[in-house]
Amino acid sequence: MTYKTMIAGLCVAGLTAGAWAHSGAMGVVKERMDAMKAMGEAVKRIKPMMSGEAEYDAGVVRAAARVIAKESGTAMTAKFPEGSGGGVSEALPEVWGDRARFEALARDLETTALGLERAAQNGVHGADHMTGDMSAMMGGTSGMMGGMMGTGHTTGAMDVGHIAQMPADGAFVMMTQVCSACHDRFREEK
Amino acid sequence: MRSTLVLALALAGALIVASGALALWPIGAPVALTALDGDAQRGAYLARAGGCIACHSDPGSGRPALTGGAVIETGFGRFVPPNITPHDPAGIGAWSIEDFARAVRQGVAPDGTPYYPAFPYAFYGHLSDQDIADMWAAFQTVPPQGMVAEGHEIDFPFNLRFGLKLWRAAYAGGQPTQPDPSRNAEWNRGRWLVNGLAHCGACHTDRNMFGGRKPDRALMGSDDLPGGGKAPAITPDALRRTGWDANALAFALKSGVKPDGDTFGGGMGEVVKHGTAWLRPQDRTAIAAYLLKGE
Repeated sequence: MTYKTMIAGLCVAGLTAGAWAHSGAMGVVKERMDAMKAMGEAVKRIKPMMSGEAEYDAGVVRAAARVIAKESGTAMTAKFPEGSGGGVSEALPEVWGDRARFEALARDLETTALGLERAAQNGVHGADHMTGDMSAMMGGTSGMMGGMMGTGHTTGAMDVGHIAQMPADGAFVMMTQVCSACHDRFREEK
Repeated sequence: MRSTLVLALALAGALIVASGALALWPIGAPVALTALDGDAQRGAYLARAGGCIACHSDPGSGRPALTGGAVIETGFGRFVPPNITPHDPAGIGAWSIEDFARAVRQGVAPDGTPYYPAFPYAFYGHLSDQDIADMWAAFQTVPPQGMVAEGHEIDFPFNLRFGLKLWRAAYAGGQPTQPDPSRNAEWNRGRWLVNGLAHCGACHTDRNMFGGRKPDRALMGSDDLPGGGKAPAITPDALRRTGWDANALAFALKSGVKPDGDTFGGGMGEVVKHGTAWLRPQDRTAIAAYLLKGE
Protein backbone atom coordinates (compact mmCIF):
# COMPACT_ATOMS: atom_id res chain seq x y z
CA MET A 1 0.00 0.00 0.00
CA THR A 2 2.67 2.47 0.99
CA TYR A 3 4.59 1.48 -2.12
CA LYS A 4 1.64 2.20 -4.40
CA THR A 5 0.89 5.44 -2.64
CA MET A 6 4.47 6.43 -3.03
CA ILE A 7 4.45 5.68 -6.75
CA ALA A 8 1.20 7.59 -7.20
CA GLY A 9 2.63 10.47 -5.18
CA LEU A 10 5.73 10.51 -7.31
CA CYS A 11 3.67 10.56 -10.48
CA VAL A 12 1.59 13.49 -9.25
CA ALA A 13 4.67 15.31 -8.04
CA GLY A 14 6.34 14.66 -11.37
CA LEU A 15 3.37 16.11 -13.20
CA THR A 16 2.79 19.17 -11.06
CA ALA A 17 6.47 20.03 -11.03
CA GLY A 18 6.58 19.52 -14.76
CA ALA A 19 9.64 17.38 -14.22
CA TRP A 20 10.87 15.40 -17.19
CA ALA A 21 12.54 12.04 -17.06
CA HIS A 22 15.17 11.20 -19.66
CA SER A 23 12.41 9.88 -21.89
CA GLY A 24 10.89 13.33 -21.80
CA ALA A 25 7.61 12.43 -20.15
CA MET A 26 6.40 11.24 -16.76
CA GLY A 27 3.25 10.14 -15.05
CA VAL A 28 0.06 10.02 -17.01
CA VAL A 29 1.67 11.68 -20.04
CA LYS A 30 4.23 8.87 -20.20
CA GLU A 31 1.48 6.31 -19.67
CA ARG A 32 -0.53 7.56 -22.61
CA MET A 33 2.55 7.85 -24.80
CA ASP A 34 3.38 4.24 -23.98
CA ALA A 35 -0.19 3.21 -24.75
CA MET A 36 -0.06 5.01 -28.11
CA LYS A 37 3.27 3.35 -28.85
CA ALA A 38 1.88 -0.09 -28.04
CA MET A 39 -1.05 0.54 -30.38
CA GLY A 40 1.26 1.81 -33.12
CA GLU A 41 3.39 -1.30 -32.82
CA ALA A 42 0.29 -3.50 -33.01
CA VAL A 43 -0.79 -1.69 -36.17
CA LYS A 44 2.68 -2.02 -37.65
CA ARG A 45 2.74 -5.78 -36.99
CA ILE A 46 -0.40 -6.48 -38.97
CA LYS A 47 -0.34 -3.75 -41.63
CA PRO A 48 1.73 -5.80 -44.13
CA MET A 49 -0.90 -8.54 -43.92
CA MET A 50 -3.64 -6.03 -44.66
CA SER A 51 -1.86 -4.53 -47.65
CA GLY A 52 -1.08 -7.95 -49.08
CA GLU A 53 2.65 -7.72 -48.47
CA ALA A 54 2.82 -10.47 -45.84
CA GLU A 55 1.08 -13.76 -45.27
CA TYR A 56 -2.13 -13.45 -43.31
CA ASP A 57 -2.24 -14.82 -39.76
CA ALA A 58 -5.60 -14.51 -38.01
CA GLY A 59 -4.08 -15.20 -34.59
CA VAL A 60 -1.63 -12.31 -34.89
CA VAL A 61 -4.41 -10.01 -36.08
CA ARG A 62 -6.64 -10.96 -33.14
CA ALA A 63 -3.83 -10.35 -30.66
CA ALA A 64 -3.06 -6.94 -32.19
CA ALA A 65 -6.73 -6.00 -32.14
CA ARG A 66 -6.92 -6.92 -28.45
CA VAL A 67 -3.96 -4.65 -27.64
CA ILE A 68 -5.77 -1.75 -29.27
CA ALA A 69 -9.17 -2.57 -27.77
CA LYS A 70 -7.61 -2.67 -24.31
CA GLU A 71 -6.04 0.78 -24.69
CA SER A 72 -9.09 2.48 -26.23
CA GLY A 73 -12.42 3.74 -24.90
CA THR A 74 -12.38 4.87 -21.28
CA ALA A 75 -8.92 3.33 -20.78
CA MET A 76 -7.69 5.97 -23.20
CA THR A 77 -9.75 8.94 -22.03
CA ALA A 78 -8.76 8.25 -18.40
CA LYS A 79 -5.15 8.90 -19.43
CA PHE A 80 -6.09 12.44 -20.49
CA PRO A 81 -7.17 14.05 -17.20
CA GLU A 82 -7.88 17.78 -17.06
CA GLY A 83 -4.68 19.77 -16.82
CA SER A 84 -2.35 17.13 -18.26
CA GLY A 85 -1.60 18.99 -21.50
CA GLY A 86 1.40 21.17 -22.30
CA GLY A 87 5.10 20.38 -21.95
CA VAL A 88 6.19 17.37 -23.94
CA SER A 89 2.60 16.27 -24.42
CA GLU A 90 1.36 16.35 -28.00
CA ALA A 91 -2.24 16.55 -26.85
CA LEU A 92 -3.98 19.69 -28.13
CA PRO A 93 -6.20 21.77 -25.81
CA GLU A 94 -9.19 20.48 -27.80
CA VAL A 95 -8.85 17.18 -25.88
CA TRP A 96 -10.43 19.03 -22.99
CA GLY A 97 -12.25 21.72 -24.97
CA ASP A 98 -14.18 19.26 -27.12
CA ARG A 99 -14.33 16.35 -24.71
CA ALA A 100 -17.51 14.82 -26.13
CA ARG A 101 -15.94 14.38 -29.57
CA PHE A 102 -12.72 13.06 -28.06
CA GLU A 103 -14.60 10.49 -26.01
CA ALA A 104 -16.73 9.49 -28.98
CA LEU A 105 -13.61 8.80 -31.05
CA ALA A 106 -12.06 6.79 -28.21
CA ARG A 107 -15.26 4.73 -28.12
CA ASP A 108 -15.20 4.31 -31.90
CA LEU A 109 -11.67 3.01 -31.62
CA GLU A 110 -12.78 0.42 -29.07
CA THR A 111 -15.72 -0.59 -31.27
CA THR A 112 -13.60 -0.96 -34.39
CA ALA A 113 -10.81 -2.81 -32.54
CA LEU A 114 -13.32 -5.26 -31.05
CA GLY A 115 -14.84 -5.59 -34.52
CA LEU A 116 -11.43 -6.32 -36.03
CA GLU A 117 -10.79 -8.96 -33.38
CA ARG A 118 -13.91 -10.80 -34.51
CA ALA A 119 -13.36 -10.08 -38.20
CA ALA A 120 -9.85 -11.55 -38.05
CA GLN A 121 -11.21 -14.98 -38.97
CA ASN A 122 -12.67 -13.60 -42.23
CA GLY A 123 -9.27 -13.05 -43.80
CA VAL A 124 -8.45 -10.25 -46.22
CA HIS A 125 -10.54 -9.35 -49.22
CA GLY A 126 -7.47 -8.27 -51.11
CA ALA A 127 -9.08 -6.05 -53.73
CA ASP A 128 -10.47 -2.73 -52.77
CA HIS A 129 -13.41 -3.27 -50.49
CA MET A 130 -14.63 0.32 -50.62
CA THR A 131 -14.85 0.96 -54.30
CA GLY A 132 -14.26 -2.47 -55.80
CA ASP A 133 -17.95 -2.75 -56.48
CA MET A 134 -18.79 0.82 -57.25
CA SER A 135 -22.36 0.23 -58.36
CA ALA A 136 -23.29 -1.63 -55.17
CA MET A 137 -21.77 1.04 -53.01
CA MET A 138 -23.43 3.87 -54.87
CA GLY A 139 -26.79 2.18 -55.12
CA GLY A 140 -27.03 2.52 -51.36
CA THR A 141 -29.20 4.69 -49.22
CA SER A 142 -30.32 7.84 -50.95
CA GLY A 143 -30.13 7.26 -54.64
CA MET A 144 -27.06 7.00 -56.74
CA MET A 145 -24.79 9.25 -54.72
CA GLY A 146 -25.71 7.69 -51.41
CA GLY A 147 -22.18 6.62 -50.68
CA MET A 148 -19.97 8.49 -53.03
CA MET A 149 -21.35 11.97 -52.44
CA GLY A 150 -21.31 11.46 -48.70
CA THR A 151 -25.04 11.70 -48.24
CA GLY A 152 -25.27 8.20 -46.85
CA HIS A 153 -23.24 9.21 -43.80
CA THR A 154 -24.28 7.66 -40.58
CA THR A 155 -22.93 9.47 -37.57
CA GLY A 156 -21.64 7.43 -34.69
CA ALA A 157 -23.40 4.26 -35.78
CA MET A 158 -20.44 1.90 -35.57
CA ASP A 159 -21.38 -1.54 -34.42
CA VAL A 160 -19.11 -4.45 -33.44
CA GLY A 161 -21.46 -7.05 -34.92
CA HIS A 162 -21.51 -5.30 -38.27
CA ILE A 163 -17.73 -4.87 -38.40
CA ALA A 164 -17.30 -8.55 -37.45
CA GLN A 165 -18.87 -9.44 -40.82
CA MET A 166 -16.35 -7.41 -42.79
CA PRO A 167 -13.15 -8.67 -44.38
CA ALA A 168 -10.34 -8.13 -41.87
CA ASP A 169 -8.64 -5.53 -44.06
CA GLY A 170 -11.88 -3.54 -44.25
CA ALA A 171 -12.21 -3.62 -40.47
CA PHE A 172 -8.55 -2.68 -40.11
CA VAL A 173 -8.89 0.37 -42.36
CA MET A 174 -12.05 1.43 -40.56
CA MET A 175 -10.09 1.27 -37.30
CA THR A 176 -6.98 3.09 -38.52
CA GLN A 177 -9.18 5.84 -39.98
CA VAL A 178 -10.52 6.37 -36.47
CA CYS A 179 -6.93 6.75 -35.22
CA SER A 180 -6.35 9.42 -37.88
CA ALA A 181 -9.65 11.19 -37.24
CA CYS A 182 -8.60 11.62 -33.62
CA HIS A 183 -5.04 12.68 -34.49
CA ASP A 184 -6.45 15.20 -36.99
CA ARG A 185 -8.31 17.02 -34.32
CA PHE A 186 -6.54 16.30 -31.04
CA ARG A 187 -2.84 15.74 -31.69
CA GLU A 188 -0.22 18.36 -32.38
CA GLU A 189 1.86 17.51 -35.45
CA LYS A 190 5.53 17.94 -34.61
CA MET B 1 5.75 40.89 -38.77
CA ARG B 2 2.04 40.36 -39.13
CA SER B 3 1.19 43.94 -38.22
CA THR B 4 3.78 45.29 -40.65
CA LEU B 5 2.30 43.10 -43.29
CA VAL B 6 -1.21 44.25 -42.54
CA LEU B 7 -0.10 47.86 -42.61
CA ALA B 8 1.70 47.42 -45.92
CA LEU B 9 -1.29 45.70 -47.42
CA ALA B 10 -3.62 48.31 -46.03
CA LEU B 11 -1.59 51.07 -47.67
CA ALA B 12 -1.46 49.18 -50.90
CA GLY B 13 -5.18 48.58 -50.59
CA ALA B 14 -5.85 52.28 -50.00
CA LEU B 15 -3.91 53.24 -53.10
CA ILE B 16 -5.80 50.76 -55.10
CA VAL B 17 -9.13 51.96 -53.82
CA ALA B 18 -8.12 55.50 -54.76
CA SER B 19 -7.40 54.44 -58.28
CA GLY B 20 -10.83 52.90 -58.41
CA ALA B 21 -9.71 50.64 -61.19
CA LEU B 22 -9.50 47.36 -59.44
CA ALA B 23 -13.05 47.22 -58.21
CA LEU B 24 -14.28 47.65 -61.75
CA TRP B 25 -11.87 45.18 -63.27
CA PRO B 26 -14.03 42.40 -64.65
CA ILE B 27 -12.78 38.88 -64.00
CA GLY B 28 -13.68 35.46 -65.23
CA ALA B 29 -14.06 34.34 -68.81
CA PRO B 30 -17.43 33.45 -70.33
CA VAL B 31 -18.19 29.75 -70.25
CA ALA B 32 -19.32 27.77 -73.28
CA LEU B 33 -19.27 24.11 -72.38
CA THR B 34 -18.87 21.57 -75.14
CA ALA B 35 -20.15 18.76 -72.93
CA LEU B 36 -23.41 19.12 -71.05
CA ASP B 37 -24.47 15.50 -70.58
CA GLY B 38 -22.89 14.30 -67.39
CA ASP B 39 -22.17 10.89 -65.90
CA ALA B 40 -23.12 11.34 -62.24
CA GLN B 41 -21.15 8.32 -61.11
CA ARG B 42 -17.95 9.55 -62.68
CA GLY B 43 -18.67 13.03 -61.35
CA ALA B 44 -19.10 11.73 -57.81
CA TYR B 45 -15.74 10.04 -58.13
CA LEU B 46 -14.14 13.32 -59.20
CA ALA B 47 -15.90 15.11 -56.34
CA ARG B 48 -14.37 12.61 -53.93
CA ALA B 49 -10.91 12.90 -55.46
CA GLY B 50 -11.15 16.69 -55.50
CA GLY B 51 -12.09 16.97 -51.85
CA CYS B 52 -15.50 18.61 -52.44
CA ILE B 53 -17.11 16.20 -50.01
CA ALA B 54 -14.29 16.27 -47.45
CA CYS B 55 -14.19 20.05 -47.21
CA HIS B 56 -17.87 20.95 -47.56
CA SER B 57 -19.05 18.37 -45.01
CA ASP B 58 -18.55 18.18 -41.27
CA PRO B 59 -19.59 14.67 -40.23
CA GLY B 60 -18.88 15.31 -36.54
CA SER B 61 -21.41 18.14 -36.54
CA GLY B 62 -24.40 15.90 -37.26
CA ARG B 63 -25.34 17.99 -40.30
CA PRO B 64 -25.87 16.18 -43.62
CA ALA B 65 -23.00 15.92 -46.07
CA LEU B 66 -22.22 18.91 -48.29
CA THR B 67 -24.19 21.37 -46.15
CA GLY B 68 -20.99 23.15 -45.11
CA GLY B 69 -17.64 22.14 -43.71
CA ALA B 70 -15.70 22.68 -40.53
CA VAL B 71 -14.34 26.19 -40.02
CA ILE B 72 -10.86 26.84 -41.43
CA GLU B 73 -8.93 29.30 -39.23
CA THR B 74 -6.22 31.09 -41.21
CA GLY B 75 -3.93 34.07 -40.78
CA PHE B 76 -6.34 36.00 -42.99
CA GLY B 77 -9.50 35.16 -41.10
CA ARG B 78 -12.05 32.46 -40.59
CA PHE B 79 -13.37 30.60 -43.61
CA VAL B 80 -16.49 28.47 -43.59
CA PRO B 81 -16.93 26.09 -46.54
CA PRO B 82 -20.51 26.77 -47.67
CA ASN B 83 -23.49 24.54 -48.35
CA ILE B 84 -23.15 23.17 -51.90
CA THR B 85 -26.24 20.98 -52.02
CA PRO B 86 -28.64 21.92 -54.86
CA HIS B 87 -30.84 24.01 -52.56
CA ASP B 88 -32.11 27.44 -53.56
CA PRO B 89 -31.09 29.70 -51.86
CA ALA B 90 -28.99 27.92 -49.21
CA GLY B 91 -26.84 26.00 -51.68
CA ILE B 92 -26.23 25.99 -55.42
CA GLY B 93 -29.84 25.28 -56.38
CA ALA B 94 -30.22 28.43 -58.46
CA TRP B 95 -26.99 27.91 -60.39
CA SER B 96 -26.62 26.95 -64.02
CA ILE B 97 -23.99 24.51 -65.19
CA GLU B 98 -22.09 27.51 -66.60
CA ASP B 99 -22.13 29.14 -63.14
CA PHE B 100 -20.77 25.91 -61.73
CA ALA B 101 -18.02 25.69 -64.34
CA ARG B 102 -16.93 29.28 -63.72
CA ALA B 103 -16.97 28.81 -59.95
CA VAL B 104 -14.96 25.59 -59.96
CA ARG B 105 -12.43 26.35 -62.69
CA GLN B 106 -12.10 30.13 -62.45
CA GLY B 107 -12.95 30.84 -58.82
CA VAL B 108 -15.65 33.35 -59.69
CA ALA B 109 -19.10 33.30 -58.08
CA PRO B 110 -22.26 33.63 -60.20
CA ASP B 111 -22.53 37.31 -59.15
CA GLY B 112 -19.01 37.97 -60.47
CA THR B 113 -17.17 38.22 -57.15
CA PRO B 114 -13.92 36.25 -56.75
CA TYR B 115 -13.62 33.42 -54.26
CA TYR B 116 -10.94 33.28 -51.61
CA PRO B 117 -8.17 30.82 -52.44
CA ALA B 118 -9.19 28.73 -49.41
CA PHE B 119 -11.31 27.24 -52.19
CA PRO B 120 -8.56 25.60 -54.27
CA TYR B 121 -9.99 26.51 -57.66
CA ALA B 122 -6.48 27.20 -58.93
CA PHE B 123 -6.01 23.42 -58.99
CA TYR B 124 -9.31 22.75 -60.70
CA GLY B 125 -8.65 24.96 -63.69
CA HIS B 126 -7.56 22.05 -65.82
CA LEU B 127 -10.80 20.08 -65.39
CA SER B 128 -12.30 19.36 -68.80
CA ASP B 129 -15.82 20.32 -69.86
CA GLN B 130 -16.75 16.68 -69.52
CA ASP B 131 -15.35 16.57 -65.96
CA ILE B 132 -17.44 19.61 -65.10
CA ALA B 133 -20.59 18.14 -66.66
CA ASP B 134 -20.07 14.89 -64.74
CA MET B 135 -19.58 16.69 -61.45
CA TRP B 136 -22.58 18.87 -62.09
CA ALA B 137 -24.68 15.76 -62.73
CA ALA B 138 -23.40 14.25 -59.46
CA PHE B 139 -24.37 17.33 -57.45
CA GLN B 140 -27.88 17.23 -58.90
CA THR B 141 -28.41 13.85 -57.22
CA VAL B 142 -27.68 15.24 -53.75
CA PRO B 143 -30.76 15.99 -51.64
CA PRO B 144 -31.17 19.80 -51.29
CA GLN B 145 -30.63 20.95 -47.72
CA GLY B 146 -31.76 24.33 -46.47
CA MET B 147 -29.25 25.02 -43.72
CA VAL B 148 -27.10 28.07 -44.30
CA ALA B 149 -23.44 27.83 -43.34
CA GLU B 150 -22.02 30.71 -41.28
CA GLY B 151 -20.36 33.49 -43.25
CA HIS B 152 -16.59 34.00 -43.45
CA GLU B 153 -15.02 36.39 -40.97
CA ILE B 154 -12.08 37.88 -42.81
CA ASP B 155 -9.69 40.44 -41.39
CA PHE B 156 -9.09 43.82 -43.04
CA PRO B 157 -7.80 44.32 -45.70
CA PHE B 158 -8.39 40.81 -46.94
CA ASN B 159 -12.12 41.28 -46.50
CA LEU B 160 -12.08 43.59 -49.52
CA ARG B 161 -12.78 41.01 -52.11
CA PHE B 162 -11.57 43.04 -55.06
CA GLY B 163 -8.04 42.56 -53.71
CA LEU B 164 -8.50 38.93 -54.69
CA LYS B 165 -8.40 39.98 -58.30
CA LEU B 166 -4.74 40.78 -57.85
CA TRP B 167 -4.24 37.46 -56.13
CA ARG B 168 -5.85 35.67 -59.04
CA ALA B 169 -3.63 37.46 -61.51
CA ALA B 170 -0.49 36.65 -59.52
CA TYR B 171 -1.07 33.14 -58.22
CA ALA B 172 -4.03 31.40 -59.75
CA GLY B 173 -2.15 29.99 -62.73
CA GLY B 174 -2.63 26.25 -62.72
CA GLN B 175 0.05 23.58 -62.81
CA PRO B 176 0.90 22.11 -66.19
CA THR B 177 -1.23 19.04 -66.66
CA GLN B 178 -0.71 18.19 -70.31
CA PRO B 179 0.34 14.54 -70.41
CA ASP B 180 4.06 13.98 -70.91
CA PRO B 181 4.33 11.36 -73.67
CA SER B 182 7.82 10.38 -72.52
CA ARG B 183 6.40 9.05 -69.22
CA ASN B 184 4.04 6.13 -68.73
CA ALA B 185 0.28 6.39 -68.21
CA GLU B 186 0.49 5.71 -64.48
CA TRP B 187 2.92 8.56 -63.89
CA ASN B 188 0.80 10.93 -65.97
CA ARG B 189 -2.35 9.94 -64.14
CA GLY B 190 -0.57 10.43 -60.83
CA ARG B 191 0.62 13.86 -61.85
CA TRP B 192 -2.85 14.86 -63.03
CA LEU B 193 -4.24 13.88 -59.63
CA VAL B 194 -1.46 15.28 -57.43
CA ASN B 195 -1.01 18.64 -59.17
CA GLY B 196 -4.61 19.05 -60.20
CA LEU B 197 -7.77 17.58 -58.79
CA ALA B 198 -6.38 16.16 -55.53
CA HIS B 199 -4.54 19.50 -54.94
CA CYS B 200 -1.84 18.04 -52.68
CA GLY B 201 0.09 21.29 -53.00
CA ALA B 202 -2.69 23.25 -51.30
CA CYS B 203 -1.20 22.06 -48.01
CA HIS B 204 2.14 20.45 -48.86
CA THR B 205 3.50 23.53 -50.66
CA ASP B 206 4.46 26.50 -48.53
CA ARG B 207 2.76 29.80 -49.23
CA ASN B 208 4.06 33.35 -49.19
CA MET B 209 2.64 36.15 -47.05
CA PHE B 210 -0.16 36.68 -49.55
CA GLY B 211 -1.24 33.06 -49.53
CA GLY B 212 0.27 32.30 -52.93
CA ARG B 213 2.13 29.03 -53.33
CA LYS B 214 5.89 29.33 -53.72
CA PRO B 215 6.68 27.62 -57.02
CA ASP B 216 10.23 26.70 -55.98
CA ARG B 217 8.89 25.01 -52.81
CA ALA B 218 6.46 22.66 -54.56
CA LEU B 219 5.46 19.76 -52.28
CA MET B 220 8.32 20.57 -49.89
CA GLY B 221 5.94 20.89 -46.93
CA SER B 222 4.53 23.77 -44.93
CA ASP B 223 4.72 24.79 -41.26
CA ASP B 224 2.04 27.36 -41.66
CA LEU B 225 -1.24 25.62 -42.29
CA PRO B 226 -4.59 26.96 -41.12
CA GLY B 227 -5.01 26.40 -37.39
CA GLY B 228 -1.24 26.19 -36.86
CA GLY B 229 -0.91 22.83 -38.59
CA LYS B 230 2.00 21.39 -40.48
CA ALA B 231 2.20 19.33 -43.63
CA PRO B 232 5.34 17.30 -44.27
CA ALA B 233 7.43 17.40 -47.42
CA ILE B 234 6.27 14.82 -49.97
CA THR B 235 9.04 15.16 -52.52
CA PRO B 236 10.67 11.88 -53.65
CA ASP B 237 13.74 12.45 -51.44
CA ALA B 238 11.72 13.40 -48.37
CA LEU B 239 9.39 10.43 -48.77
CA ARG B 240 12.22 7.93 -49.11
CA ARG B 241 14.03 9.47 -46.16
CA THR B 242 10.98 8.95 -43.97
CA GLY B 243 10.60 5.30 -44.88
CA TRP B 244 8.01 5.38 -47.65
CA ASP B 245 7.87 3.14 -50.68
CA ALA B 246 5.16 2.98 -53.34
CA ASN B 247 3.19 0.18 -51.67
CA ALA B 248 3.24 1.82 -48.26
CA LEU B 249 2.19 5.16 -49.71
CA ALA B 250 -0.67 3.72 -51.76
CA PHE B 251 -1.94 1.79 -48.75
CA ALA B 252 -1.59 4.86 -46.51
CA LEU B 253 -3.89 6.80 -48.83
CA LYS B 254 -6.53 4.26 -47.90
CA SER B 255 -5.70 3.47 -44.26
CA GLY B 256 -3.79 6.48 -42.95
CA VAL B 257 -1.05 4.18 -41.62
CA LYS B 258 2.53 5.42 -41.78
CA PRO B 259 5.61 3.17 -42.17
CA ASP B 260 6.25 3.12 -38.41
CA GLY B 261 2.70 2.08 -37.50
CA ASP B 262 1.63 5.59 -36.52
CA THR B 263 -1.33 7.09 -38.36
CA PHE B 264 -1.85 10.43 -40.09
CA GLY B 265 -3.07 13.53 -38.31
CA GLY B 266 -3.12 17.23 -39.00
CA GLY B 267 -6.08 16.97 -41.36
CA MET B 268 -4.64 14.23 -43.56
CA GLY B 269 -6.90 11.73 -41.81
CA GLU B 270 -9.88 13.58 -43.21
CA VAL B 271 -8.33 13.72 -46.67
CA VAL B 272 -7.94 9.93 -46.59
CA LYS B 273 -11.28 9.07 -45.03
CA HIS B 274 -13.42 11.31 -47.22
CA GLY B 275 -11.18 11.45 -50.26
CA THR B 276 -8.38 9.13 -51.25
CA ALA B 277 -9.81 6.04 -49.51
CA TRP B 278 -12.67 6.18 -52.03
CA LEU B 279 -10.40 6.11 -55.04
CA ARG B 280 -9.73 3.06 -57.14
CA PRO B 281 -6.58 1.23 -56.05
CA GLN B 282 -4.91 2.09 -59.35
CA ASP B 283 -5.40 5.81 -58.71
CA ARG B 284 -3.77 5.56 -55.28
CA THR B 285 -0.95 3.59 -56.87
CA ALA B 286 -0.59 6.28 -59.53
CA ILE B 287 -0.41 9.03 -56.91
CA ALA B 288 2.25 7.07 -55.03
CA ALA B 289 4.22 6.37 -58.21
CA TYR B 290 4.24 10.02 -59.27
CA LEU B 291 5.17 11.30 -55.81
CA LEU B 292 8.07 8.87 -55.48
CA LYS B 293 9.40 9.53 -58.96
CA GLY B 294 8.79 13.24 -59.16
CA GLU B 295 9.01 15.31 -62.32
